[in-house]
Amino acid sequence: MSDHTTTVGPQVEAFVAQVRARLTDLSEDEREELLGGLEADLVEKLADGADLGDPWLYAAELRAAAGLPEGRRPLVRTPRLRMPRGEDVDRVLDESRTEWSALTARHPAGARAWEVVATLRPAWWVLRAWAAVTLVDGWTGPWERVSAIPTLGVPLLGPVVLLAAIAASTLIGLGRLWPGSGPDRPRLTRIALLAANLMALGVLGTVAGGGSSYLASSPTWDSADYGGYPYTPRDGLRLDGSPIRNVFAYDAAGDPVTGVQLFRGNGDPLTVSADQAESGWRPRAERTVGCGWLNGSRQLFNVFPLADRVQRRGTCLDDADQPASLPVPPFAQVPPVTSPVPPVVEQPQPGEE
Amino acid sequence: MDTTQLLKGVLDLAVLAVVDAEDGYGYDVLRRLRAGGLSEVGDASVYGTLRRLYAAGALTSYVVPSEEGPHRKYYGITPTGRDQLARQTKDWRTFADTVTDLLQGAAS
Repeated sequence: MSDHTTTVGPQVEAFVAQVRARLTDLSEDEREELLGGLEADLVEKLADGADLGDPWLYAAELRAAAGLPEGRRPLVRTPRLRMPRGEDVDRVLDESRTEWSALTARHPAGARAWEVVATLRPAWWVLRAWAAVTLVDGWTGPWERVSAIPTLGVPLLGPVVLLAAIAASTLIGLGRLWPGSGPDRPRLTRIALLAANLMALGVLGTVAGGGSSYLASSPTWDSADYGGYPYTPRDGLRLDGSPIRNVFAYDAAGDPVTGVQLFRGNGDPLTVSADQAESGWRPRAERTVGCGWLNGSRQLFNVFPLADRVQRRGTCLDDADQPASLPVPPFAQVPPVTSPVPPVVEQPQPGEE
Repeated sequence: MDTTQLLKGVLDLAVLAVVDAEDGYGYDVLRRLRAGGLSEVGDASVYGTLRRLYAAGALTSYVVPSEEGPHRKYYGITPTGRDQLARQTKDWRTFADTVTDLLQGAAS
């Protein structure tokens, strides 16, 4: 028998909290009777190198062995149609917090991963500050690409505001500027902070997920008919990870060619996505939208160069009475080229029809 | 054969026997059961059984504080528990003998 004792780690604490949550239908005495000494036992179990396992199954086994009726797993209560009271909000926030702690603590690997994530918090404080300033930048300035240092339209203002935002965000993170971390903060503060963090996540998700380095909050061409080609509109041509918005072809003599239809070897069209063919992202602002070549009324985005048109909303198809124009190619002419394949009489190839 | 089903029927008896030999706390009882050969037994089953036997008056319990860690809850056997142990031991022997005889009859 080991006399090993340690203080209760967060893993055991969270586990016991989860088990306790499944015993809420019992009387206080019964519950404490079941849970008494459990922490010490679990601490030893962990010290023996065993996994704590699933607290729900554990609680079920405990109840069954103790001869108690099978409890019901507390369901997330269906919200009744009334305004949530303040205490409800507190309870939801607290329960989510406990639930999360238990979730991360359930397996040693999870606990370690969460530790790593927790040490990255400062990086998040910087990121969310950047996201906030970028959001402000996006709604105030003219359209522009999302940049590492938001410009805010005035020289030096962007970097200064960004630095201030990072400082503020870090102080909030450290609990210096706003009541610190944890469940003891005022309710509104918690909600505001949660909303701000979620919004920052949204901005980062939009920037990263769009991949196009635009905050594409405007109506895009997603609704355009792509003619059933086996590709998704957002996966367009890329070069070194950057989206390509247009392609300019020249023939062997070096002259620009219009109306080149491009395909891969497997027959898939080489398209730019509708998102990539547009520039400027503020809703309702004038922006350039790409206009696919037409096959009947269907827009094709694998025919180059793509035409474009400046308009305020919608896609190229929404404003069809305005003429679209072909963009000016980057070169009027390029040097002529010759084919590496001998041009004239070829030997008959075996196996060729 | 799945021994967990068999175990359910005799866990009370096994736990009573272990605690009768020496007072113990949950994990200690579990360890002794496993050392005794019941390697499949789950800790929550043992703890639940201890709590139930305590509620039924077969066991007594006392808390031993620990300076470094959480308190341990020790269980000891009561006279009621000893009676139950003696009765169930007898039942088990009879039952085991019966089943053994049956199996021998079937085998011959």
